[in-house]
Amino acid sequence: MGMDYVMGVDAGSTYTKGVLMNEDREIVALDVTLTGANINNAAETIRRKLLEKSGIKETDVKLVVGTGYGRYIIRFGNIQVTEISCHARGAHYLFPNTRTVLDIGGQDMKVIKVNERGDVVDFVMNDKCAAGTGRFVETIIKSFGLNFKDANDLALKSRRGIALSSTCTVFAQTEAMEHLAIGDAIEDIMYGVFKSVITRAVGLITRVGLTPELTFTGGLSLNPIAVKILETMLKTKVNHSDMTMFAGAIGAALYGVEKLETEKYIG
Amino acid sequence: MLPDFPKELDKGKAIQAQYIRRHFSEELQKAPELKAKGYKYAYLFVMGNPIELLRPFDVFIGVYPEITSLNISYKGEAIPVLDAAEGLVGFPTDVCGYVKMGVASTYMANKIKVTVPVIGHMPEPDLMVLHYTGCQVYIHWWELYQYMFNTPVLVYDIPHLRHLEDTAKPHKEDIEYVAEQLKDSVPFLEKISGVPFDESKFKETVKITAETWDYWRQTIEMEKLVPAPYDAYFEAIYYMSMITIYRGTKDALDYYKYLLDELKARYKFINEHPEYAERFRLIFEGVPPYHNYKSFWNLFKRWGARMVYATYPKVPGMELFRFDPSRPWESEAEYMILPYCNINYKDRAEILAKYVDEYKADGVVVHSIKSCKSFSSNHGDFKEYLSKELDVPVLLIESDHVDPRYYSEAQIKNRIDAYFEALSLRAKR
Repeated sequence: MGMDYVMGVDAGSTYTKGVLMNEDREIVALDVTLTGANINNAAETIRRKLLEKSGIKETDVKLVVGTGYGRYIIRFGNIQVTEISCHARGAHYLFPNTRTVLDIGGQDMKVIKVNERGDVVDFVMNDKCAAGTGRFVETIIKSFGLNFKDANDLALKSRRGIALSSTCTVFAQTEAMEHLAIGDAIEDIMYGVFKSVITRAVGLITRVGLTPELTFTGGLSLNPIAVKILETMLKTKVNHSDMTMFAGAIGAALYGVEKLETEKYIG
Repeated sequence: MLPDFPKELDKGKAIQAQYIRRHFSEELQKAPELKAKGYKYAYLFVMGNPIELLRPFDVFIGVYPEITSLNISYKGEAIPVLDAAEGLVGFPTDVCGYVKMGVASTYMANKIKVTVPVIGHMPEPDLMVLHYTGCQVYIHWWELYQYMFNTPVLVYDIPHLRHLEDTAKPHKEDIEYVAEQLKDSVPFLEKISGVPFDESKFKETVKITAETWDYWRQTIEMEKLVPAPYDAYFEAIYYMSMITIYRGTKDALDYYKYLLDELKARYKFINEHPEYAERFRLIFEGVPPYHNYKSFWNLFKRWGARMVYATYPKVPGMELFRFDPSRPWESEAEYMILPYCNINYKDRAEILAKYVDEYKADGVVVHSIKSCKSFSSNHGDFKEYLSKELDVPVLLIESDHVDPRYYSEAQIKNRIDAYFEALSLRAKR
């Protein structure tokens, strides 16, 4: 009998991430695409890319697990699991000593306490507001005509960070523009943008309680300046890698493998 | 998904709905003719009001602005009323939604366009009864009506419950302090009503309430049964309207007699039909999002969850309290001191912890609302105490009770689903 596969698709508000995993919990392919207005199209694109990259036949994919805000919209999804559970499982897979997960995605921020199996023990999230999310950073840097890489490079050169309001994206944007108008360095303003988001994250981490190790997932974890500020503020090492943005999709795939195992066991 | 009960086992909600309609259409909407007949509209708060003292005068009709506000929101009519409150009256957005809607639906009544006018308007008050029980905004809310209509305000000073004694009773001195105020207020009520006070009628009313309360308490305690016969939050909120609006009447007594029988029949039914039994037993703390009431309830039903205890239906009074007709003044005073929101935060956390055990709950859901600081200020501490010290899984979610602008179903659903995923794994391990 050949190997069975599962697909985890994390349909986030900004990016849709996908992971193809075999029944031995090994990642065989992963990819990402912009979600855009049509979640189902984005998920479809990811499915096609994963199959092309891996050369796996569609019929060998036994289960598709959807996660993220668009999880119920993915037409070919078999089961749905929240990204809170999936990020917990995915972060634990990437860094098995993980006990606290910080996920900063496009439209929310969450801190998850996990146990030694990667199960969610507790979690807190930002309230109904974009401040403290990837979208907060994106909105401000876009208004400066920058992308994430440029903003990172600039912020890393900052000599004195500027404190920006962290309660409202729109007000913070105006505030950033005002700093530019009075002659503050763009490097310092960019630092302030990242610092604003990480300050909120540290507040949430404090609410749940920091149990090491801390793993940083989601799109913002790819920004070295965000990791640097987080490590400085918490005075601890933070797990992150170029795979952490896929934590949700990895977790979804792991839930799929678990389900396959249960079904086989039950017969 | 937890299935709905057959209609013959779910009449309790429909019966209370008839009474709610009667309250709005017969008692509030007919204000001009009733006022002409000598009736007086007494504005009251839900929490710990002394309606038993008002009923013997036979002319007071209770008006509950909190109930009007929540009904407006429940019917999906909050936005035009909030618009009037913020745009025409001039309230800032972060003032309590109950206050904004309560004031607008009296003061701006003729300028608000709602499609269900029967609930959108309240008659001008003839008397306002202020009992400062837990909510710090109460006094200013009534103060606004006083400015607008020059209505007299009867103030009872209710001591905050610093500490519940071992018997779960308020302090003796506090009870005496409030009982004396109640007695002192009688001449004022006689003056406003134009009716002499009849103490025997007061005693009789307390007696009816005592009996009613006993049925209500038995209803609450039925939830210790496994499986639970009803949802102690989402259904009890319907049931509680009778203890709130019609307490001290034969109607309320008959209602709770009926309800107890209905729920006993339900329990028998669930045992014969296990698909109606709950998968998760939860405790709920906080005020519901009335604007999305049923869809919010469904987010729990789809996981097979049933609330087995909730603190919100205890806002009119804690079930551990018993009315004692043999000492009506003291009993009424004790009732006024003991509503849930007048209890200090530390004891409230202990109450939640106690009921997790007594009601065999799997976890606690806390819904914190932007409007109400007296209910929500310590929700973070409740979560920390229960989850970190007692290992009780707690879900903390935030929105508002009457203002739909603070509600985002996708985000709420996400948190609820994640909570149940974690509870499911916990149950499996």
